Amino acid sequence: MMTEGTYPCGFGGVSVWCDQLIRGMPGYDFHLVAIVATEAEQVVWTLPGNVTSVERVLLWGAPPPGPAAGRRPGLPLRLLRQLIDVLLDSPWRAQPLFADTLRELFDYAQHGNLSTGLASEKAVRLLSDAWRARWQDPVQPAPTLHDAVTALQLLDHSLRPLSHRPVPADVGHAVTNGLGVLPALAAKWQHGVPMLVTEHGVYLREQYLQHRKGPYRWPVKAFHLGFMRRLCALGYSEAETITPGNVYNRRWEERLGAAPRRIRTVYNGVDPANFPALDGEPEAPTISWVGRVDPIKDLETLLRAFALVSRELPGARLRLFGVPPKGRESYLQRCRALAADLGITAVATFEGRVENIRDAYDAGSIFVLSSVSEGFPYSLIEAMTCGRTCVATDVGGVTEAVGDTGLVVPPRSPARMAEACLTLLRDDGLRHRLGAAARARALENFTVDSAISTFDEIYSFLGSGRPLLIPAPPADEQPGDLLPGSAAG
Amino acid sequence: MIARALPASQDRPPGLGAYAAGPPVLAPAAAPAAPAEGEAPRDIDELCQAFAGVCESAVDPLEIASALEFDGLNDQAARTRYGVCDVFVLAEEMYRRVPRRPPEPEPAPDPWQVSKTGPALHGLLYGLPAICFPAATGLLTGHAALSVLVVALPASWAVSQGLAYLGYARLGRADRAQAALLLLAGMTAGVAAVALVLAVAAVAVRADPSAFFFGLGVAAYMLGATVLLVLAAERLLLIVLAPGVLGSAAFLALGRPAHLDHAAWAALAATPLLALGLAAARAGREAGLPRRRGGHAQPGLGARRLLTGAELRSALPSAGFGLVAAGLLVFPVAIGLPGPHGARTGTVIASLPLALSMGAAEWLLFWFRRRTQGLLRATRELRAFAFRARLTLLGALLQYLAAAALLTAAALAAATEARLIHPHWTDLPQSAAYLALGGAMFLALLLQAFGSRTFPLIACTVALGFEVAWRGLGAGGQLVACTELLVVLAGYAALVLGRATWHAC
Repeated sequence: MMTEGTYPCGFGGVSVWCDQLIRGMPGYDFHLVAIVATEAEQVVWTLPGNVTSVERVLLWGAPPPGPAAGRRPGLPLRLLRQLIDVLLDSPWRAQPLFADTLRELFDYAQHGNLSTGLASEKAVRLLSDAWRARWQDPVQPAPTLHDAVTALQLLDHSLRPLSHRPVPADVGHAVTNGLGVLPALAAKWQHGVPMLVTEHGVYLREQYLQHRKGPYRWPVKAFHLGFMRRLCALGYSEAETITPGNVYNRRWEERLGAAPRRIRTVYNGVDPANFPALDGEPEAPTISWVGRVDPIKDLETLLRAFALVSRELPGARLRLFGVPPKGRESYLQRCRALAADLGITAVATFEGRVENIRDAYDAGSIFVLSSVSEGFPYSLIEAMTCGRTCVATDVGGVTEAVGDTGLVVPPRSPARMAEACLTLLRDDGLRHRLGAAARARALENFTVDSAISTFDEIYSFLGSGRPLLIPAPPADEQPGDLLPGSAAG
Repeated sequence: MIARALPASQDRPPGLGAYAAGPPVLAPAAAPAAPAEGEAPRDIDELCQAFAGVCESAVDPLEIASALEFDGLNDQAARTRYGVCDVFVLAEEMYRRVPRRPPEPEPAPDPWQVSKTGPALHGLLYGLPAICFPAATGLLTGHAALSVLVVALPASWAVSQGLAYLGYARLGRADRAQAALLLLAGMTAGVAAVALVLAVAAVAVRADPSAFFFGLGVAAYMLGATVLLVLAAERLLLIVLAPGVLGSAAFLALGRPAHLDHAAWAALAATPLLALGLAAARAGREAGLPRRRGGHAQPGLGARRLLTGAELRSALPSAGFGLVAAGLLVFPVAIGLPGPHGARTGTVIASLPLALSMGAAEWLLFWFRRRTQGLLRATRELRAFAFRARLTLLGALLQYLAAAALLTAAALAAATEARLIHPHWTDLPQSAAYLALGGAMFLALLLQAFGSRTFPLIACTVALGFEVAWRGLGAGGQLVACTELLVVLAGYAALVLGRATWHAC
């Protein structure tokens, strides 16, 4: 299993998922390849017994030691030139050659020092010459030597995983696209290990968003994103099976060339034992929310929506559970100020951290998710498992999770959200029916056990070398239709 | 009921729900300060305007698609609002409509920005201890004492350079507590090691115990000061220096009266003790060590792999450089070059102006890096960069030599005025030799800052070897050795620092 920046050296949703999966499959032995930024990221999880070994691949440490300096063959000029051309040419034309180039780089990195080659004056000269030859647009900022050096450094660090010796296994399971597939590709090339790529978010989309904040000039950004785009496309095309965490994400996968018949959506699951059905409801009609207090969760829309609800239903309450991430507390201040402006401070309360997350669902008559961006949110399926009816924004995999057991509204629309909340708060019968339907839907589709049995099936198919039979998706791409439960409403 | 309220229909988004509900329950206008839904851009041109920043700096349509989705716009909205089949097609259309005009990113904070007072303070800190030596020379007697000192300086330089390297390396990994712990343990071990070496040397040359203690004091001060400097606690270092420097100055000003010998020793002893005490306190606090009564906690023992063998090996070139650099500085003094006229002129130059000039060297190092970083951002061709970088290097070296020459002249004038020395024109070769040595040290410092440690070490070792071999030739030998060293280091620096890849950071 290959990870990047998550299990077993970091915490977060993806790490929880990996831990659940490995513990749930005691019949398989796991060799973990964890791509981490620096030496400082050590293993922080207690590893289950079926993890036989952990190899950390450092992106930013010193380059891995190779053979003695004098005996290393230099990185061939031809390969360097080919790499640069492939990254600067249009993606459609370059994609087939990219695969060959990366494979040659891997072969070279197994006995030579790739870092030295990419940090050489030769490489800088090739890149700046290639840029000069292609840069015709006078409006765009011309690349400087600093850009060339920086771009090659980024590339060098991104390619570090190629210098590690791949381990033979029955299946190479990359729990991300992008850099995480490099060790999986290496294992495939070296030992013929079939490749499985799981994506919770969309790796490439996150790279684009990351670079929007990033410090790099346009030529460096274009160069690095060009590499990531080609790498992700290669990850999709080389994988025997791709398992996105929701159907919405497969749009990106297909866009980048993944064959639809290789894609199989596997939803996150929760353990129903941790989220038994809640008895009763709070006395006052209450909306609860839980999550990280962060702009991506768009609490402002929720507060505005609640102000509208409060005018119609004066007894209604809003309870928000969660804390802002460290160092970004200003958003919480902004939300508090907005609540004061809206005159709802007495009825809308920020409750801070909650010990048992189930208490957050218990606190509300309904659960609301107001995010502008999500993958397949755990909070939603947890609330559903508890039997709470949800109002959620139509982002990422939300519609697939909710199906017809709750109300889905467009993001950033306080009026629509308020309208949906009022519908549910006013109609006890509808609310209770939908709550029960939500629990039934979650228990059928979104449990850890169902996720694990799906992977068990995929592993055994891939491991035996048999082709995996994935039912062809319906011609209609409506995501909700792929779910067995969605027609049952 | 559900079936009626939530009809499954192909032209509705999956998930149904509130999209479907009847007439609006609430007038959007009723929302205080709420953005009306009508504010969402109605056509693609308006959308392009709203996302102008994204579109102008996008590297391809997928970047725009990412930003649109992140903003909550999905395929459904692309269809209903903008009449295109999905977000990707919408993004492609926007990419076509808005020309690329990426803005320059915010200039990153300049890591080579340096305050004017910082390096000057450092120069002062390096130079101030020099005042202690003339005060102590009256107290130390015999050739044996000098021998002990000749052992003490290189030994403590070696340990302190190695320790500083390890400390900075740890700080570079953003591991301040571990760095502080390592510095504390290194200081303790280093003082013990130098004490052992000094004891052996003192017994071998039958030196007076006072010489041993003076040497030990030098080592303790050096290591304590290293810890404080690495932890950026220069002000504490000023406190450390106060008793020794002020005491020595007063002692010298009074003409070294014999009845004040004990007071002078006490003042001199206070500085290394303070150095160790404050360094230990500061490092201990930063390492988060629990305070213990008596204060002499033994850090490092039992800590999780405080130092690996590979790290220790990586510090060796730095330690070796400290050893050789101190050798180059004190060897000519130790053998009493150049002759009866100016035996102590060299001592004065070696101890004071060269130390002060290291402040200038530090400032010029930052100056050079700032300049070359600017060049790298302004140049598109490797050859042009190499030429300009080498010119900048020459400029930095000349500035350093001018500063060192000025400081030397000033120090010699002051020492002559105080009748400490009686310079003669025959001192010129040695003065020039020390100036060349200063220039070589500046270049070595510069190369080390760029990660090149082996070449300066080898060059300095060879130069020291020449000095030892040519000791019969007097100052002439020293001049030739130091000038050669300067030329070799300058040539090497010009070669490697003209390469763009060396300036990557």
